[in-house]
Amino acid sequence: MAEFMDLNVSTCEDQSRVLDLISTAAQLGFSTVALNYEFEPSANHRAVPSPTPTNQLIPQLPLVQGRSRPIRVLNRLTIVTSDPGHFRPNAPEYRCYDLLAVRPTTEKLFHAACMMYDVDIISVSVTEKLPFFFKRAPVNGATDRGVVFELSYAAAIRDATRRRYTISNAVSLMESCRGRNVILSSAAEKPLELRGPYDVANLGLLFGLSDGDAKEAVSSSCRSVLLHAETRKTASGVVHTVKSPDTGPAAKRRHLME
Amino acid sequence: MKSDNKKDEPAVFKRVVSKNASPYNYMKVSLVLEDESTRLTAIELKQFIITGLKSLYGEVGAALSFDLLKYDEDTLTAFLRVSSRGLVKLWSSLTLLGFYQNQACAFRVLQVSPFLLALTGNSRDLQLD
Repeated sequence: MAEFMDLNVSTCEDQSRVLDLISTAAQLGFSTVALNYEFEPSANHRAVPSPTPTNQLIPQLPLVQGRSRPIRVLNRLTIVTSDPGHFRPNAPEYRCYDLLAVRPTTEKLFHAACMMYDVDIISVSVTEKLPFFFKRAPVNGATDRGVVFELSYAAAIRDATRRRYTISNAVSLMESCRGRNVILSSAAEKPLELRGPYDVANLGLLFGLSDGDAKEAVSSSCRSVLLHAETRKTASGVVHTVKSPDTGPAAKRRHLME
Repeated sequence: MKSDNKKDEPAVFKRVVSKNASPYNYMKVSLVLEDESTRLTAIELKQFIITGLKSLYGEVGAALSFDLLKYDEDTLTAFLRVSSRGLVKLWSSLTLLGFYQNQACAFRVLQVSPFLLALTGNSRDLQLD
């Protein structure tokens, strides 16, 4: 059976609320959640937020409903770009995040994000009418590179106008990508904005996905995002370097013996 | 049921094979409210669901016929019956319902099945010893 994931759960200063969100997600049957840190370079000239390590945030991870395994919690950074300088490739601040997402606001940046940016997720804005069309060429380019498009549904629950934008943006995205490489996530700020994985898959039908694609959008596509993130961190997923904590002749010898 | 009249014939099992899609789907849903002390009557719940259908699908959606078969006011759990072609509509409108009288709420869809009998137990709640 496929594992369900929700790769966008908003974080806030209030830690008890984050804990509440994570335990609700586990109750609903999500095996993995990603806590989203949003970074908007244009609005405020703050530095990139640094993530709280998961083991510091939650001492005891809640068990996932239906499987006796604790939930996995990841960190994700979303960069809202409105200028080409906003996304700095290979910036060391991005390294501490498990997933990297961009939300382009212009057509040029969308094209660049699809074709060049070294990211995992391209987040589609659902709170406003899209200022550009999704063209076939960049969308296909993103699909070939394994970058996925993300739609979040919490805004659709919050009010009717945003629901309209969510559905219309979703349908126009589906026209160009034909249901492949799409993930559905919540972007929930409160536990009551989270929905179960099967509910989300059903919502995918409303956005123009087929039955199979809708279920993939909460399960296997999310898994491929995680694998893509792994390969981004390593050299094509083949070579992975870690800093060894003990480096000395004794440690080297022990290493050779192993 | 001719065999019932004849006492001497042994009891036979009746096997039912449903080849076409079943006409109805049954859903077990529970409503979670921000203020847990709020109670709804069955009529209020059905009215609330119809409001949700209407806001997402308009008058045509509100005309979708579904039944509230059973409702437990204490746990806010309800059994709904809906025709199979209306399932996606009803389910998505339940998903997108976020507010009941200006307080946050969520429908948790516990089980969905084309057979009412399947809702008697949930394999995910089993405690295996």
